[in-house]
Amino acid sequence: MESSQPPVSSSHLDPTSDSDSDSGDELGPHLTVTQEEQLKVESQVADIYRCLVGVSLHRQSLVLELQRDRHIEYLTKGLNQLGHTFQVLDANRPWLCYWILHSYSLLGEAVDSELEGRVVDFLSRCQDKEGGYAGGPGQMPHLATTYAAVNTLVTLGTERALSSINRKGMYNFLLSMKESLGGFRMHQLGEIDARSCYCAISIASLLNILDTELVRGVGDYIASCQTYEGGIGGEPHSEAHGGYTFCGLAAMMLIDEVEKLDLPFLINWVVSRQGIELGFQGRANKLVDGCYSFWQGAALALTQKLAPLAKEVSEEQSTIHATRDYSDLGIEFLRRCNQTGPLYHHLALQQYIILCSQILEGGFRDKPGKHRDYYHTCYCLSGLSICQYSCMRDGDLRPSTSDVLGPYSNMLEQVHPLYNVVLDKFYTAHKFFSRSSF
Amino acid sequence: MHGRPRKATKQEDPAAAAAKSARLRELQSQLLHFHHNRIYTKEAVSVSSKLLEINPEIYTGWNYRKLAFQHNLKEVSDTDTDTDTETIKSAIEDELRMVEVALRRNPKSYGAWYHRKWILGQKLVPANFDHEFRLLDMLLKADARNFHGWNYRRFIARLKDVSEEEELKYTMDMINTNFSNYSAWHNRSMLLSKLLRKKAKGFHEEESILSDEFELVRQALFTDPSDQSGWFYHLWLLDQTSTPHKPHLVSSWPSDKLNIEISAQFKEKCERFPIIFCFNQQVDGVNLATVTINSKLVSSEHITWKPLSANNSRKSKIWVGFLENFNKYCDNSEGLSVEISVHCCESIVHLKFVMKLSHMDHQGENGDGFEELFLWDCPKSQEINPYLVSYDPWRLRVESVEEDTKWHLDTLSAEIALFKEMSECDEDSKFVKLTLARLLGAHNSIKSGGSAYFEEILKLYDDLIKLDAPHYRYYRDERSLVLLDQMTSSKDSLVEYCSRCENSSFSCINPQLCINFSGLNLTRIGFVERLLWVQILDLSHNNLTSILGLEALQLLVCLNLSHNQIMSFTALEPIKSLQSLKVLDLSFNEIGSHPVDTTRYLCSSPLSHTCNVTETMEELARENIKIGDFWEAILLFESLQLAQLDMQGNPVTNERFRVLVGKVIPCLKWLDGKPVR
Repeated sequence: MESSQPPVSSSHLDPTSDSDSDSGDELGPHLTVTQEEQLKVESQVADIYRCLVGVSLHRQSLVLELQRDRHIEYLTKGLNQLGHTFQVLDANRPWLCYWILHSYSLLGEAVDSELEGRVVDFLSRCQDKEGGYAGGPGQMPHLATTYAAVNTLVTLGTERALSSINRKGMYNFLLSMKESLGGFRMHQLGEIDARSCYCAISIASLLNILDTELVRGVGDYIASCQTYEGGIGGEPHSEAHGGYTFCGLAAMMLIDEVEKLDLPFLINWVVSRQGIELGFQGRANKLVDGCYSFWQGAALALTQKLAPLAKEVSEEQSTIHATRDYSDLGIEFLRRCNQTGPLYHHLALQQYIILCSQILEGGFRDKPGKHRDYYHTCYCLSGLSICQYSCMRDGDLRPSTSDVLGPYSNMLEQVHPLYNVVLDKFYTAHKFFSRSSF
Repeated sequence: MHGRPRKATKQEDPAAAAAKSARLRELQSQLLHFHHNRIYTKEAVSVSSKLLEINPEIYTGWNYRKLAFQHNLKEVSDTDTDTDTETIKSAIEDELRMVEVALRRNPKSYGAWYHRKWILGQKLVPANFDHEFRLLDMLLKADARNFHGWNYRRFIARLKDVSEEEELKYTMDMINTNFSNYSAWHNRSMLLSKLLRKKAKGFHEEESILSDEFELVRQALFTDPSDQSGWFYHLWLLDQTSTPHKPHLVSSWPSDKLNIEISAQFKEKCERFPIIFCFNQQVDGVNLATVTINSKLVSSEHITWKPLSANNSRKSKIWVGFLENFNKYCDNSEGLSVEISVHCCESIVHLKFVMKLSHMDHQGENGDGFEELFLWDCPKSQEINPYLVSYDPWRLRVESVEEDTKWHLDTLSAEIALFKEMSECDEDSKFVKLTLARLLGAHNSIKSGGSAYFEEILKLYDDLIKLDAPHYRYYRDERSLVLLDQMTSSKDSLVEYCSRCENSSFSCINPQLCINFSGLNLTRIGFVERLLWVQILDLSHNNLTSILGLEALQLLVCLNLSHNQIMSFTALEPIKSLQSLKVLDLSFNEIGSHPVDTTRYLCSSPLSHTCNVTETMEELARENIKIGDFWEAILLFESLQLAQLDMQGNPVTNERFRVLVGKVIPCLKWLDGKPVR
């Protein structure tokens, strides 16, 4: 946690010690399937990290370079396929837009006006006339794809993009997804979980349409999903899960009810998910996966901003005011400085992302041996950005070189961890949607 | 969204791909056409089947089928009543078959799983549960950690009313197949919690059940001491074994049967006398109805109870109420006698204490008592007799411990023995060491007056700090708690850290004792419930970054936090509620060095702060002192009536700051050892 040197593989990552001991009975005669898979990944990762051992700093820096051009190439390829090639993700097309365009903006790549026009046009066709966005034109509006669409449009950030959102309709859509017990349905007649709550709250917060009506009961629902492990599960009685933990925590912060969670416990669970492979796992005893660099990493980035604040609102006030203003929580989050350094090993995580998840030909993957895809590209890059900025202190404009692993040119744009959109884009959107209530 | 591995599209023959794509597009537009025009014929529905077979992610398809199902069902019931059941049955079977096909294609499809729940949840005809369980077996065999599968299993078990015992057997089978399967362990803990809570047949004996579970998880841990699943389960078991189910009162100020001698000076100065309750877990509902006061002169209505918690929650471990104007009452020679009954969770605790004026008042004092500079070097030469530690929180503690702790202690002892054995085999396992430390700690907390294991636990944490550097802060915190537990565990041990304070101005209660916890490498505060009576506390020369917990010490008058690592004023939030605090030493900390805060975990509503602009702030603004630079300091000091403050050796301290402090604390007499004009 304290070291500023790249966490080069250490002796306990040496796979030979594991494979040799198979004959000796140290690990017991039978390994479970889980353990075999785990050992396999550990040894793959250790092989990769060996490239850093005994190598000059210059050489290390070359090995640790982010292949920007290759990634842009890979992303651009995806964009061009959009719309005319077969996709398995037919009901998730706004997601593809978001994964690709958010990755673009993390890499600091601008989108030309022609492409922007195409995306805005496409998403407009996904927008339901009653409000909300569907996975594709003509389909039903769905909270997750709405989240992706809104984040995409915010990422584009132009007047044309932002004004294409029907906020009045969106509000009605969100309200119609709301269940009496507090949670949200993903879509009409659809399932309820912590993910749907986050999507709804994040959308409403970004668009400045969040109010007490939407917030009512959400905090209690999410709190009921926190398990005895400390993390948050998808629904009550489920086991804790990194994705849902991020969703639950971020939603709680956006509605200012984070005190309903047991935070020490939550933090304890999340930090323990960073393993010997240097990346994060999503659940207890699962294999490491690059995408949790964001889900778990960002959850910890959120907790860095938490501290007791001189909250001088008397109890009477907070109970009497039936309506409260949620419009500035996102921006106030940014005004707060980090209250502590990173609660995970931020350099180690960068090492995992760059050496194990990055594919030199462009794109990112779950772990060595897996294929690249846009989902992992988006969340590995988002996680990388979170790491690079995790030591920022009040007044810092840029992370220090010692916090960016590899050459300084690896540095990505900073994201707003509550919404996972690039910071500048968030500011633009915030300004835009503050101008008027809908 | 959740790291579902998505298969990259295979390289296909372009012509075939184009054909496939055209077909998909054709099906999709047909589906949307039927959906928008509410066409639910057999042919129309079969289009959705074809589409979902290829891509189960098309949730609009699932939704269309739900509407079609409802629509067609309604038509049936309107026309023919005889064939009702059969038609419904076959309609349901169609849907279930569809879902099955989809799940084979993508076992993590939210839409498919939910469709199945939706269909069966309506309970239109008796479900074929055998089939459901077979399907689940198959899917969980393919991926034993599929949380959709486990969620569905819980759903189906509830629907069929399968006993928890049955399901428990299933988790056992899964664990036997692969004891690393944490999903199975997790479900096991959920089921056992339910069974034990409702005291199901065969589960009356919580103790023997938990013993068996210890035995079970032990096998897993011994097979592979670094497997996470077993450790999580063990942690859950330990929690079941060491945490009392019900909240209870662990200490109070004043404690039962206490005779409090109050100095005349204090009586004159102070209008409020605190009464504090500490519970073993957070409680709410401490109020007029649950606390009754029996005294000649004070009645329950005179006291408003407030939770002392850092966030604004209504629940807290610590509650405080103030006897207002108490100085009016304790003038007569017998003193004021107060009896209190606290109703908490079906049990009642009675307390009785007497407040009297001290006969040993120092002569020749005049002024309001803080004219002299308070010096922290209390002579430690004198032996303190334990009986002088007049307050006895231990009595309450001993009485409140449940009687039947034998099983708990036996179980913990057995576990401890085993883990010691394990740690001898594997000296470098951090899991073993940490668990052993936790087990020993749990044992200490149950066994009243138990002190046997302190040194061992401290040693374990010392080892862990060396062994597992990335988590050393956690171990240091845990170590601090153990140390505080040890020091406060009995009168005899605490006396070692006490010295007499000769200056009566600073203490209201005789005898005046100073508690000295300096130079102990403490990183956090704990066991405040045993220190409620303390008025003078020296925590200097530690590594404190947070002082969370000190808010409970409502009687504190002098507090020394010098030479610690406190980094900001927000970290001093707990002090704000200490209304009797007069002397505060913050010298040689890191306040202002950087904005990194201390309160590692603590979080109250982080994103909103509203504070009213006060007169002081306006005045400062007139003098061109930027409030923005110091507002946290202003909010802190404004809420206190300090007489003496030491801030030197902090980056924040400069001339501007000194001027500000003078304005914000008008009653301040000493700043950094020098008199304030």
